[in-house]
Amino acid sequence: MSKEEILDKVNTAFITVLEHSNFQLTDETTANDVDGWESITHMMIITEIEKLFTIKFKLMDLMNMNNIGDLIKTIQSEI
Amino acid sequence: MINFVQRIQESIKGNYDNNAFCIHNIFYTYYDFAKAVSKIRAAISEVIDDSEKLIGLVTNDDLETYATIIALWLEGKAYVPVNPASPLERNVKIFELTETKYVIDSSETTMYEDHEVILSKKLSDTHINLEAKKISESQLAYILFTSGTTGTPKGVPITFGNIEGLVSAIDKDTEFNLLSSDRCLQMFELTFDFSVVTYLFPLLSGSCIYTIPKDAIKYFYIFKLIKEHKLTVLTMVPSIINYLRPYFDEINAPDVRYCSFGGGALHADIAAEWSRCIPSSSIFNYYGPTEYTVYSGYYPYDKDTNCKSHNGIISIGIPLHDVEYIVVNEENQEVAVGEVGELCLAGCQLTPGYWNNKERNDEAFFLDKKEGKNIRFYKTGDLCYKDEEGDFMYVGRADFQVKIRGYRVELAEIEFHAKTKAKKINMVALDVMNSLGNAELGLAIESDTFDTNEMFDYMKTKMPNYMIPTHVRFIKEFPHSMNGKIDRKELKKLFNITNN
Repeated sequence: MSKEEILDKVNTAFITVLEHSNFQLTDETTANDVDGWESITHMMIITEIEKLFTIKFKLMDLMNMNNIGDLIKTIQSEI
Repeated sequence: MINFVQRIQESIKGNYDNNAFCIHNIFYTYYDFAKAVSKIRAAISEVIDDSEKLIGLVTNDDLETYATIIALWLEGKAYVPVNPASPLERNVKIFELTETKYVIDSSETTMYEDHEVILSKKLSDTHINLEAKKISESQLAYILFTSGTTGTPKGVPITFGNIEGLVSAIDKDTEFNLLSSDRCLQMFELTFDFSVVTYLFPLLSGSCIYTIPKDAIKYFYIFKLIKEHKLTVLTMVPSIINYLRPYFDEINAPDVRYCSFGGGALHADIAAEWSRCIPSSSIFNYYGPTEYTVYSGYYPYDKDTNCKSHNGIISIGIPLHDVEYIVVNEENQEVAVGEVGELCLAGCQLTPGYWNNKERNDEAFFLDKKEGKNIRFYKTGDLCYKDEEGDFMYVGRADFQVKIRGYRVELAEIEFHAKTKAKKINMVALDVMNSLGNAELGLAIESDTFDTNEMFDYMKTKMPNYMIPTHVRFIKEFPHSMNGKIDRKELKKLFNITNN
């Protein structure tokens, strides 16, 4: 799966959980840049992504994830 | 007599070389803390008139914010905390309700221009002075605000005598005994009353307090602290382990000695799974409303020997030392063992009453004659029963108050603010369960679909983040029950967020 395809699916997960599409996700995007992305919604987004890609993240990876770039790298390593 | 403030002073002095805080991965010793307390204290006594007792505190995640609490207590003053992430309008309202003129703020610049502000990060060091002033039991130590039904937050004042009661009750309990070598989690916003036990008890014991940065993903940061710093004492709301549950098989934390839960129902199934992640730890299921100074009792949980539950919710156990529990019917009369009623609390940890709110005080407190004495009881709004062995079992809420991530939320307050921007439209706020068993907020709107942005923008200026509904459904006509009331149960089904 190309990076663009991954990003596209990640984008879908964000829209599903946050119930808006008022954001542009790039490698550098963090929770501070997206309205409604905080501790709780982050957990919901992670669950949604796990479902979309049929993967299961490791807590060790989740613990060191700081931006969208980290998230995509972790997804790439899991699929 | 107030002893705990002097004990804090002695503990700080006796543990100068120990770490007191780990904030953003930086350690601060008790000596660093003593210096921070002293400089803030010097500024308080220089700037603030002795008669001003209620002082605003902006709750940043830094050493100065914690030092301010202790500095205020040594001066015999109360802190009125406001969360910098909450709407400014709500925070200003809290200062208005408490007539707070002075604010202590560790931010670079302050938003509270209409107040006298002490910028605590900009103060210069002074000599160390931790001597406590003479403090009486009835003086206030803090005022916290919780959600109120009419759109105005409700103030709960807690006195030094109330905290003394809490400290003495925990002291008398031999099951929980912190050591100066302990490393303790402090995951709570300081406007939330559970935070009081997570900074106060470690400070009294010379232990180290590990905080969570405001911008961190809480759940993973807690795991990181447990793993990298080998925390020994965890105090959490149950929703933390609900969210971590999918990853339990990766968690093994044998250093944890104590794990205390509170601020929401602890479910038996998840508690059993969690206890395998912390194999050496005791688990306590604490109960207590803000009005009763954090804790009023607990149940010592053990997955094999002590796992009493009702409808899957673990027992709240028995009251702490000097705390009285009764279960009453609608006429405030005590009911028999095994019978469900509203749990009421009495004892020295009980707030003197809501801040300037006679109407609410008349509803929430009542006097009961016991052995010839009038005892003041607080009605918790929690439905419970006492079992044959004397343990109290939690059944549910008696009103429309719900818990969202440990915070108490009056659904009526959300509806009140939502309706201000969408007049004449029926709206119902609801707590709905997600797939992990956590409550989230939904807003059901009886109308054709419309753009809710303006309404939500308005709500965000009136209420903190945790009170903003995360799910919206438009419904042509609300379902009603047989007696004509809106059928909340049916409405909840329309949210169906478990399959998302």
